[in-house]
Amino acid sequence: MPEPALSASATGVIHDLGYRGYDGPRQGRAQIVRALTWHSFRSAFGIGRGVKGKIIPALAFIAMCLPALVNAFAVARGNQRLFGYDVYVPNLRAAVVIVFIAAQAPELVSRDLRSRVLPLYFCRPLRRSDYPLAKYLAMTGALLILIEVPLLILYVGTIASAKGGSAIWHETRALIPGLGVGLMYAALFAAIGLVLASLTGRRAYSTGIVAIACILTFFVALLLIQAEGGQSATATGARIAGLFSPFTIIDGVRVWLGGSAQTGFVADPGRYGPLYGVLAVALLAACLGGLAARYRKVSQS
Amino acid sequence: MHMPSNQAPAVIETTALTKVYPGDVTALDGLTVSVAPGVTGLVGANGAGKSTLIKILLGLIPPTNGQAKVLGRDCETSGETIRTLLGYMPEHDCLPPDVTATEFVTHLGRISGLPPTVAKERAAESLRHVGLHEERYRLIGTYSTGMKQRVKLAQALVGAPRLLLLDEPTNGLDPAGRTAMLELIGRIGTEFGISIVVASHLLGEIERICDHLVAIDSGRLLRADSITSFTQASQVLAVEVEEGLVQLQAALAARGLPATPQAQGRTLLVPLGGDDTYDVVRDCVAALALPLCRLEQRRHQVEELFRDERDGQEVPHA
Repeated sequence: MPEPALSASATGVIHDLGYRGYDGPRQGRAQIVRALTWHSFRSAFGIGRGVKGKIIPALAFIAMCLPALVNAFAVARGNQRLFGYDVYVPNLRAAVVIVFIAAQAPELVSRDLRSRVLPLYFCRPLRRSDYPLAKYLAMTGALLILIEVPLLILYVGTIASAKGGSAIWHETRALIPGLGVGLMYAALFAAIGLVLASLTGRRAYSTGIVAIACILTFFVALLLIQAEGGQSATATGARIAGLFSPFTIIDGVRVWLGGSAQTGFVADPGRYGPLYGVLAVALLAACLGGLAARYRKVSQS
Repeated sequence: MHMPSNQAPAVIETTALTKVYPGDVTALDGLTVSVAPGVTGLVGANGAGKSTLIKILLGLIPPTNGQAKVLGRDCETSGETIRTLLGYMPEHDCLPPDVTATEFVTHLGRISGLPPTVAKERAAESLRHVGLHEERYRLIGTYSTGMKQRVKLAQALVGAPRLLLLDEPTNGLDPAGRTAMLELIGRIGTEFGISIVVASHLLGEIERICDHLVAIDSGRLLRADSITSFTQASQVLAVEVEEGLVQLQAALAARGLPATPQAQGRTLLVPLGGDDTYDVVRDCVAALALPLCRLEQRRHQVEELFRDERDGQEVPHA
């Protein structure tokens, strides 16, 4: 004699499989975006992925921190601080930023394109712009960790051996613009990396696109600066040569805003300074606009 | 069993829904249909407009014309609200290979708006309901097609939806896998109390689990009805005799039964009205003293019904 079947009306009841619905509170869009951002931020460092995914972020981070650690020892032995906050090991920093975004921007966006997981996001209560927004916040955050933590190590290592409050105040005043420059790098390169990586779901291609675009423009700009007489030149050509790559644009903005010339990449932009500022903002806007447009299109397919 | 009730508010309602893609491709052409709670099969050939309809219902694409409502809410203006109430299983592969099923479904639970601990619990439960147990801690890349389909179903369930939209859920599965997947969907529909719309181009398959069928063709509604009314109309009695087919047909016609000979062979198809149809057939066969080989009740594949309707013809009629 079979047991009487557990009732199963259209409105649903508890039954033998123990399925339970959920009528509790649901999180709003802001919290969903935060969840996606946090998830993406973690994956930018390979957390939640296999060991392989952690190698490049870890190496990049260590490479960025090493000079700051060396500085701590040097200062402890009575030397001056080895690196500026605003131009912290400029060539190494450029190289590491390129490697990091070329490897990790595809991790954030190409992977989802490749595995065609986007419809699963867009069939949930997200708006189309929320996905690229979360990815951008995550990538910016990851770059901030990569760029600013070494500066903080540099700062702590220096003030640990500083004598007197005025020395500490002096260091702090030098650190703040350095953090600002780091923020510019993070904000701009996150956008550049993501918009280029989102062009294709093929990870090797998107890594290549990001790396080539960054390296090529960087070298072109550096060559132009050299050709125009180097960083100490004052001719118009030298002043605007830095406009041809994102790294030198940010460096130009730095000098325009009062940073010392001849320590970074570019010659003093002089009266062309505002041009660097405008171009930096325009480039950022173009990349973010491109990213948003990319996902407006992809969500329909 | 499920009673087809006309009183229950429709879970899906479309009015003159039209979608024209760029390049003048008409995917939906004035589709007006109402879907009652329960399990509904959305059937049509590939390219009939099933996926387009689902995307409009999800609010992913706007209709060119007309209106669509899901659970009483307008798809164009309340897309976000609707999407919290829906679970969607796409037709194509949509799983990243390098995460575990647990992590992936938990993450999507969060994106559905579940708080962290709830997302974790529901992910574990959803995966258990679809029949993934210890395997759920393995990377999805190591799964078989059947297991992947189950993960796709689990991610649709994780957000505690009131309505599931499943697009070709048996795609790529072997016959055993198809049966298992259909049973699972049937159980979710009847036991979990979740309304389901299953899009499929394989009618014979989904009619087994559906309360209702909606058939579309070239973006137009072919027919929408409860499965019982489909099958009632399609009951026939197959009578196979070794000889005397013509005499039997005449005898049956004399008793008011319009029998149709099958294209080849020795079989007559007799519309099954009630139990007395059997008696009439038996009496006629006995009166003519014909050697009877087979007498069986046969159900038309619903597919044939659709074909008949499309051709504008009646069901078997000489």
